Amino acid sequence: MDILTFTTQQHWTTWFAVYLFLGGMGAAVVAVSFLTHMYLREEKELVMWGALSGVAMMVVGSGMLFLHLLNKWAIFYIVSPYGVFHKPDSWIAWGSQFIVWIQIAAVLYALPYMVEKPRLLGWPVIGNILKMPIVLQVAGVAKKIHPLLGWVGIVTGIGTAVYTGLLLQSFPAVTLWHNPAVPILFTVSAFSTAMAWLLIVMYTFIYHRVDHTIRALYERIDLGLITAELIIIFSFFNFTLSGSEGGYRSAEMLWGSNGWLFGFVLFGLIVPLAMEMKCVFGSWSGKVPIVTASLLVLNGGFQLRAYFMAAGIYAYPW
Amino acid sequence: MTHYAMVIDLATCVGCNACMAACSLENQTPVWADHWRTKVHDREVGDGHGITRRFIPRLCNHCDNPPCMTVCPSGATYKTKEGVVLVEVERCLGCGACAMACPYDARYPATSDDIDKGKEYYGKLQRKSPSMDKCSFCYHRLLKEGEPACVQTCVGYARMFGDLDQPNDPVTQMVRSGKARPLMAHLGTRPNVYYIPER
Repeated sequence: MDILTFTTQQHWTTWFAVYLFLGGMGAAVVAVSFLTHMYLREEKELVMWGALSGVAMMVVGSGMLFLHLLNKWAIFYIVSPYGVFHKPDSWIAWGSQFIVWIQIAAVLYALPYMVEKPRLLGWPVIGNILKMPIVLQVAGVAKKIHPLLGWVGIVTGIGTAVYTGLLLQSFPAVTLWHNPAVPILFTVSAFSTAMAWLLIVMYTFIYHRVDHTIRALYERIDLGLITAELIIIFSFFNFTLSGSEGGYRSAEMLWGSNGWLFGFVLFGLIVPLAMEMKCVFGSWSGKVPIVTASLLVLNGGFQLRAYFMAAGIYAYPW
Repeated sequence: MTHYAMVIDLATCVGCNACMAACSLENQTPVWADHWRTKVHDREVGDGHGITRRFIPRLCNHCDNPPCMTVCPSGATYKTKEGVVLVEVERCLGCGACAMACPYDARYPATSDDIDKGKEYYGKLQRKSPSMDKCSFCYHRLLKEGEPACVQTCVGYARMFGDLDQPNDPVTQMVRSGKARPLMAHLGTRPNVYYIPER
């Protein structure tokens, strides 16, 4: 029978884009800061900012999903490690495990540095918690298993970023989502936004406490990631232009929208790419250009997910 | 073994919606939110003097490769040995992934508000907790060797229910002859609801 209706869904709307954005970026922030700390330079400030801001992002993102659950008590079925053994074919089951374990690993990895930081110890509630003997003991144990915690954070961080794309890929009715490029696009975007966030942190909050070579490296990596994202986006455009009516309608929605064209493609990718190139290879110096470019990248990361959710077209024969 | 399937004859469906009414009373669905386990879509096709009304009943296709079951993180969606896709209500988080995965728009949320309204609407309500909901082929009736309520009530015999593992079952013969065809088979869902197109 012929397809007669083309429509979008109303189940997962903008709030879900927030979950995908903050979940992917938070996880990538943890993975990037841990990799930097373990294999480049022991940057304690960067690790603390990466771990804690990453966890905060994932808490807010997961919170969005949790608030929209119909039966919140049933969450125990997926946060317990048994969940993934019961449903190994469900990416949400894997993603839930990744998000749980990355948060545990992130807090434990940062804890030995937190208990040594006078400024944190001076804070009203957090300072008292960090001085508790049990917390100090846990920090001691965490220090001993630091490489293990680091790798748990890195693997689950990459896993979470990939999962945000695999989740959408699991829906066969929507051409825009059900293709192998989605997990790649979302992973690249997650790491690009993570780089952007960490650049903002390093250029503002901890400018004098982080080695400049780390900032320079992140800028170069982000250049590569934005370029890769542009290539994937334009190959998506080519993919959706023919092959299925649903895909074509998604392309029409996206490329006919000023928000997608200007909000995401121009000011979320092309402009920050040009600005970062000018900073890395050109004459621009100082904090303002790179922080501005990074803010645009963050905005682009959210726009990508919001438009992707909105442009998923279902085709029905009624 | 038993492999349940349904055949819907689109030439015979008159769009009376009796199936929707029977289903909603049998399964106490939140009709006030326009959520139905089965819904008859009604649209005019053609133009000028050639306009005809077209009715397409839709429901869960009880796929052999159900994407809703694959994405379900808690295992609340499962398949019985007879091929019926069911939801274990207490285990369902209500995340909505199944609704996103279903190509047949067969899933909808049954919320806490719907439970409160359902008590006023239906009196004693079977449902105790919110979850995603869907057609069950009236599995509770099948266990008593009955038919789904929509099939039993269909005045034009547009809905037929049978067992694909029984070669002499009329449903099996319609499916095997190619007269009845599944919806969107290209998606690889292997649906068990088949349609005989209008002639």
